[in-house]
Amino acid sequence: MRIRAGTDDVSSSCSRSRRPLLVLSCAFALLSAIAMCASAAPVASQEGAVQPGTDEDAGVEARGSGDPPGMQMTARPAIVLPPAPPAPRIAPIVDEPTAVRAEKAVAAHDRPVALSKTILGLLGLITLAYLGGHARVVALERKLGIAQVITSGFPFIVLGLLARTPTAGILTDELLAQLNPLLRVGLGYIGFAAGVRFGTRLPKGIPALRTVAAVTTAPFLLVALLSGLVLLLMTGDISTAALRDPVFVRDALILGTAGAVTAQSSLEIFRAVDPHGAVKSVLGFEEAAGIAGMAIIAAYFRPQTGVTWQLPGTAWLLLTLGLGVTLGVMAYAVMKRPQQGPEFVLLSLGLIGFCAGTAGYLRLSPIVVAFLAGAFLVLLPELPRAQLREALSRLERPVYMLSLVVIGALWQISDWRGWVLVPVFTISRLLGKRLGLNIALRVSALQLDSDQRLAITMAPIGRLAIAIVVNAQLLYPGGSISPIVAAVIVGGMMTEIIVQVASRQAMNDGARLRGVQ
Amino acid sequence: VNLLMLLLFAGLTHATRSFVADGEPGSSGTSLAFGYLLVSGYFAGRAVSEIGLPKLTGYLLLGVAVGPPGLGLVSRPMVENLSLVNGMAIAMIALTAGTELELAKIKPLRRTVVGISAFAVLGTVVWLAATVWLARPLLPFFGELTTIQAAAVTLVLAIVLVAQSPAIVVALHDELRADGVMTRSVLAVVVLADLLVICLFALSSAAARATLGAGADVLHTLTVVGWEIGGSIAVGLVVGALLVLYLRHVKADAALMLLLTTFVVAEIGSRLGLDPLLVALAAGAFVRNGSQVADELHHNLQVCALPVYVLFFCVAGANMQTDALALVWLPATLIAVVRAIGLLLGARVGARLVGAPDVVQRFAGYGLLPQAGLAQALALLFSRTFPEFSAEASTLVLAVVTLNVLISPVAYRIALARSGEASRQHTDAEALQIDDAEQAR
Repeated sequence: MRIRAGTDDVSSSCSRSRRPLLVLSCAFALLSAIAMCASAAPVASQEGAVQPGTDEDAGVEARGSGDPPGMQMTARPAIVLPPAPPAPRIAPIVDEPTAVRAEKAVAAHDRPVALSKTILGLLGLITLAYLGGHARVVALERKLGIAQVITSGFPFIVLGLLARTPTAGILTDELLAQLNPLLRVGLGYIGFAAGVRFGTRLPKGIPALRTVAAVTTAPFLLVALLSGLVLLLMTGDISTAALRDPVFVRDALILGTAGAVTAQSSLEIFRAVDPHGAVKSVLGFEEAAGIAGMAIIAAYFRPQTGVTWQLPGTAWLLLTLGLGVTLGVMAYAVMKRPQQGPEFVLLSLGLIGFCAGTAGYLRLSPIVVAFLAGAFLVLLPELPRAQLREALSRLERPVYMLSLVVIGALWQISDWRGWVLVPVFTISRLLGKRLGLNIALRVSALQLDSDQRLAITMAPIGRLAIAIVVNAQLLYPGGSISPIVAAVIVGGMMTEIIVQVASRQAMNDGARLRGVQ
Repeated sequence: VNLLMLLLFAGLTHATRSFVADGEPGSSGTSLAFGYLLVSGYFAGRAVSEIGLPKLTGYLLLGVAVGPPGLGLVSRPMVENLSLVNGMAIAMIALTAGTELELAKIKPLRRTVVGISAFAVLGTVVWLAATVWLARPLLPFFGELTTIQAAAVTLVLAIVLVAQSPAIVVALHDELRADGVMTRSVLAVVVLADLLVICLFALSSAAARATLGAGADVLHTLTVVGWEIGGSIAVGLVVGALLVLYLRHVKADAALMLLLTTFVVAEIGSRLGLDPLLVALAAGAFVRNGSQVADELHHNLQVCALPVYVLFFCVAGANMQTDALALVWLPATLIAVVRAIGLLLGARVGARLVGAPDVVQRFAGYGLLPQAGLAQALALLFSRTFPEFSAEASTLVLAVVTLNVLISPVAYRIALARSGEASRQHTDAEALQIDDAEQAR
């Protein structure tokens, strides 16, 4: 049954070293074209009726775009989105954090209760951690098909959600504002780690362009179209103007981008053997496509902020690329020198924070900039790669899990729009993956066994997808991204459960088949 | 190369900041400062260690150079927003110090500790009080006070000014991997002095308020002090017990759990009126003396300690009031010199009287010189307690702290090197080898 390896897909030949650039260029070109088509919208808005301002109560960004000063350029400028105040739940993390450190001492008579709650909370955490690692509980999780949901860190999201409630009173607005850098560093970490993975895999060969295009474009388009349609239906305005609204186009692109990305754990879940790295390579390029999508969204849909440069979208895209490469070179200069383990961890963390901060200043995506820096870094020679991998793995759990707690705290669970989006997002994504693979199998010489196919079509939503939507929420803190974040988080949990059921089914089928034989 | 890298990162940070209109930092400013200080702090530490100074002086100098009073690459809002890391760092440093407080090893040193504390710490309070009293003509805020009021305020200031810094002491011990009788004595003294200063400050400031006509509520003062010290120790023991439970039964992701614990101790502790330093210290001491998992705790702390230390000292440098030093340099220098002489002489006399080893007599005083967080916190508390002359008095205290922060780590590093106790601590790998060898025997 197993392995007719994807001979078309993976080439170890160095003579094909130009192909990565070609594929990346094509992916960029495809997404740029979509964004550029959408960029006609603000011109119409500028010429026609402009609806600046916001609908603060509903937490929804006003559709339409203003014409900010400094935008009259001969080159087509990036789409400058209308100003929108951040949704109340995420305001502490995006607002100007100058006066957040208000001392909120607990009154003397409330202290015993607050203290008891804190200690009980810590005890509860330890109990949960103990139970989480207990063999019987792990077996039960597997039986119920929720093991992956647990190990993917979703409980930390729930923890953040609970800690933000007024009853718990742990993650207050002030504290959340202080955790802002942690979240940005967490996003940078996810991007950097993905970049290092991508850069490490790149010299080993890449999948055929047609394969990558099919497996990423189909879920991207299907999710963007179907989820976008639901987004429109929820606003109650299905006019041509609404379809051309840059905020709508941006939201649909974000959903599509998140839908195209797949968790790297997919292969392990389906226990698929991948001796030539064909599936891994495809999954890696899906990540790269997600990054490209995010880069284009951040470049072409500019939040209205105090950034002094007003540039066309393509210039922002090139700036992103240049910044990522520059930071990669600086990271190389720093990391090439021999260091001890803890120093390497320190430098990795510092460089990731620097990438995230620099990107944030320019209102670019920290994930994208850190990804480019990480990918470029590992392509350079004489880098202590083993040390880098060790440093990243040391940082992984603390940075990622703490970021998830903050993400949970930002989750607007009461927003019904998110819950409406969940089934559409989940189903359209799975359908898109299936469709994409079918097209790839037809148009390319890609050959996969059933487990490998399952690993691609039934792939769970990775942390990168969640990071992409959270990053979008930080870039565009107006209300319309909140349901998208909710949809991707809950969709992620649902997909994990579906994936577990599918993997068990696949294993049962395999066992039955072996029995018959 | 180190200087080149420092320049490179400073240049890029400056360029990045110039993208935003009006220098407004935006919510990304803190992330930029976080990354910039970590990377540049590393190179600053290396640069100064090459000329024989402690790395933490490099971190502090970098903070001063790029902080608000210096180049301004790290702005005031960025520094304020990194204060969460500060709280965690103090808790982490205290937890480390706690795990080094092994009662069995400290018990033989108790006479030394008491002797040094009495002569050096309490003795220096007297010296400092006399100096401040005599320097009144240089300090305008004493102008309108009566003799009784001036005496009371002088005493409070002397207590604030004598405060030590367990954070710097522990960081230097870690950096130089120092261990020995002097190292342990110094750690025990600075911890004890920390408790002493907190108690004395509460009592003397209540008395001073009474002389200024605000009335003294003795019971309230005792309750507050009792809660801060007793409550902190009690809560610390509970936190220590929880850590032992975790390290014994869960083990996985211990570094993450430690980060979470220090975060809770720093954030919730200060909101509840507890001293996060004491809470973490008590927790660490409980783990060391009440369980077998102290080495595991110490190892996990070291995994995540370096970034926290670097950031903490860089932010401490950026927070330094170098402009205050320019205003009150004469009395500040005078006080710093008297404090140094008082501590050095007091430690020597105290140690000699109790018959401490020669190395303790000669070098322990240098470990009492560093001053940082506690004195700054007390200066803040002082300005809240005495709003009548808060600005001038705080300026004086902060100027003294600035001088001590910059000079005393260097002095203590030299003392550690000369005492022969530097590089005596075993790394984890070495400890493992020793254990194996002992088992083999």
